[in-house]
Amino acid sequence: MREFISEFSEKVQETLQHLPVEEIAKAINILQACYERDGRIYVFGNGGSLAIATHWVSDINKTIFSHHLSAHSHRFQAVRLPSTESEITAWANDVGYDMIFAGPLQNYIQDSDVVIAISSSGNSLNITKAVELARKNNVPVIGLSGFDGGRLNELADAKILVKTETGQYEVVESAHGTIMHLITKYFKDYFDHIIENRAQ
Amino acid sequence: MIVVRAPLRISFVGGGTDIPAFYTRYPGRVLSTAIDKYVYVVLNRTPLIDKVSARYSISETVGHPSELHHTRIRAALLDAGIVNGIELASFASLPAKTGLGSSSTFSVALVKALNAYQGRKINKREAAEAASRLEIELLGEPIGKQDQYASAFGGMNVLQFNSDHSVDVKPVLIGYKTRLAMEERMLVFYTGITRDASSVLTEEKANIDRKFETMKEMADSVSKAEAMVLKGDFEALGNALNQGWLAKKTLASNISNQTIDSLYTAGVHAGGWGGKLLGAGSGGCLMFLAPLEKKVAVRHAVAQAANAAGLADFREIPVHFVQAGVEVLHNSDDGGPEPA
Repeated sequence: MREFISEFSEKVQETLQHLPVEEIAKAINILQACYERDGRIYVFGNGGSLAIATHWVSDINKTIFSHHLSAHSHRFQAVRLPSTESEITAWANDVGYDMIFAGPLQNYIQDSDVVIAISSSGNSLNITKAVELARKNNVPVIGLSGFDGGRLNELADAKILVKTETGQYEVVESAHGTIMHLITKYFKDYFDHIIENRAQ
Repeated sequence: MIVVRAPLRISFVGGGTDIPAFYTRYPGRVLSTAIDKYVYVVLNRTPLIDKVSARYSISETVGHPSELHHTRIRAALLDAGIVNGIELASFASLPAKTGLGSSSTFSVALVKALNAYQGRKINKREAAEAASRLEIELLGEPIGKQDQYASAFGGMNVLQFNSDHSVDVKPVLIGYKTRLAMEERMLVFYTGITRDASSVLTEEKANIDRKFETMKEMADSVSKAEAMVLKGDFEALGNALNQGWLAKKTLASNISNQTIDSLYTAGVHAGGWGGKLLGAGSGGCLMFLAPLEKKVAVRHAVAQAANAAGLADFREIPVHFVQAGVEVLHNSDDGGPEPA
């Protein structure tokens, strides 16, 4: 048991030591630009990645601004796609599972928006279809992928690849969770700094 | 209706190395950042009005774009093949000819808006290239491409101008702490003297053979300046700006003048690390980097020098860096009526 625990945590630690720093910095810049123009951020993924997407939306919209909720001229506007279960089932049942993200994204997408796509394999068809739609609209894509990055890593503007052996979902999703918190913390500190310095 | 906005820019080092006469012989490089002052272009489709309306500092309504006085709007509309049924207006946070790249910023916003009007979503690079083509190829202006790229891409970047006319955009990835520290140590003053970049650049171009080595040094100083920014060493950057400004003044006789020199000297004597005139020269804005404890002294000294020189429109311009580049903020255009 002890061995299993240390092996797993070592694997996660190793991936964390090799995070794509420049690509994460690019992602931060993309989000900063989106905030400046008051655009929206659409986040999506399948299974565990959808759970990360949901968590991230809450962090972007609320946690980042938690310390001074009413002090900002505006706050980020992140949306988990699809935003309702009804849309997931409607698109999946009526059109096809590969359209559950691209379908709802088409309703919202505007030039000022940003897309965050999360997929360990980077090859889920429903993810790549939505990312292709974003690219067609020249909307910047932040792609969080694992394994060898797959198609998502090729298509993304900020290519956040957590490189692992194929199938290491737990390791990849753990690292994705850390990256989510890293970016959340960056903006939380930034907005705290702005407000706290303004008050002085 | 379509609303597009594009940011103005401040260039720190390497300005002037973005013209073909230089970069076809040696890679040009510029370190610059987009700032929170914008040019807005608004387009409106008027299918029931057979006119072209352009509203900027004046208002023009004509039957065909070829009758417009505004050279860029005229050339852009003719090039896009838009001959009537359009209203176009521009708005800006600052007056023109401040040395913050406003005329190319306008072109970037204009080409982005006209493409959106014709149903094309162009990316940042396409917008920068289309604006450069409009100004340099279609209008024959003797300018470079740094402003178009700085405005279209947004953020802080090292722009490299290659001999095959391509441009590499490398973002300078600084965190908010470094960014805010730099903003806090920066002072930007509008001198109140306006100038036309073309007159300075024409002389600069003519001098290129004589000044080639100086321009090479300016291009080479960009990576050093980038490293100073990344390290947050603004004192070193201020000193480098000072040297760069002194070098740039030798490129053309009309880059500086006595009034600008008196303002600059006042700022440096009051404790500024260094700075430069923004833009091609002869007027526009003067920028300083200064230690926090000297900011007030620099502000007063420069204002006093401006007062002594009788610069009625002189003022300080508060500046923040922005990440956003050229963007469609609003697009409710329906693409116009179907052809009958």
